[in-house]
Amino acid sequence: MALQTFTAGQVLTAAQVTALQANDYNQTVSTKTTDYVLVAADKGTRVVMNSASAQTITVNTNLFSAGDTLFIQNIGAGICTITAGTATVSTAGSLALPQNAGGTLYFTSAGVSIFFPTVAVSGSQGLTLVKSQVIGTTVATVNVTGAFNASYENYKLLISGGVSSTNASITLQLGSTVTGYYAGLASTSYAGTVTAASDSNAATFTVAGYASTGGISFNTDLQSVFLTKNTIANFNYAQTATGGSGRVGSGYLNNATSYTDFTIAPSTGTLTGGTIYVYGFNK
Amino acid sequence: MAKPLIQIDDEVREMTDEEHNAFKALQTANAEAQAEADAKVAARQSALAKLAALGLTTDEIASL
Repeated sequence: MALQTFTAGQVLTAAQVTALQANDYNQTVSTKTTDYVLVAADKGTRVVMNSASAQTITVNTNLFSAGDTLFIQNIGAGICTITAGTATVSTAGSLALPQNAGGTLYFTSAGVSIFFPTVAVSGSQGLTLVKSQVIGTTVATVNVTGAFNASYENYKLLISGGVSSTNASITLQLGSTVTGYYAGLASTSYAGTVTAASDSNAATFTVAGYASTGGISFNTDLQSVFLTKNTIANFNYAQTATGGSGRVGSGYLNNATSYTDFTIAPSTGTLTGGTIYVYGFNK
Repeated sequence: MAKPLIQIDDEVREMTDEEHNAFKALQTANAEAQAEADAKVAARQSALAKLAALGLTTDEIASL
């Protein structure tokens, strides 16, 4: 039961008292499945997000007063991000809640709030899952949207599982940018020969990972990708073929664009299965 | 002939004509970039092999 305002002389019903008591022991819950903007009636309640895709809960000013609290939790597979609308929201942890994370939103004034996350998303942990994306069947490209935001400056992209239809490099494109990619990788073949792979003003990072019928190897760290600075990339992967090599290298995208999306693609053939994980490095 | 499949988050569908043209252009650009990079590597490997054939040791080649 949401907070009620009783007036002088009003007769409380047993049902009202029972409902208020119940809220202490079994908090009023409202479950959301799409983007949601908090309303005044959410005060003192538990707002639950349950969605397989990424959603937001927006916090606006002049709805709550100093001392008001509510609990926000995410039970869906999609990341739920607490977003400052017209109110401010600060936290020592992360505002991006993975599945089964939550915390208390506490207002210090009508327009200022603090989110106290549970331990699972506290700043003491190194990485927080921002988004996961299952790769479809025989797809030539996979575009992941909403991967980067202001909560993190640095990210790790990992692919777990999956195969390709033929031996291929995995290319990485940020946003819709098709120029200015520079990279250099040391490549040591499993037979012991050292060579190099590189990009010089390429249309993508052309050798960001590798895929074959034996699996996909993709492990890339991105620095400053959401900031209006050059994006720095660090690559580390194994060519999953007996005649292949282990590769380590780095590069950068020569512009100051802020990116939220990325696209991976095999240089030839298609990808099937596996999951792309996007993690944010906690500050 | 069916066009390649594009995946945008959870949506998987056939590419539009515009997307297919952009995809092919990007594939071509990537292939050209890699061919150029591979040619540089091959040229270096060839040069190193020729130096070794002339009798230079690995340390001598590395010091060049």
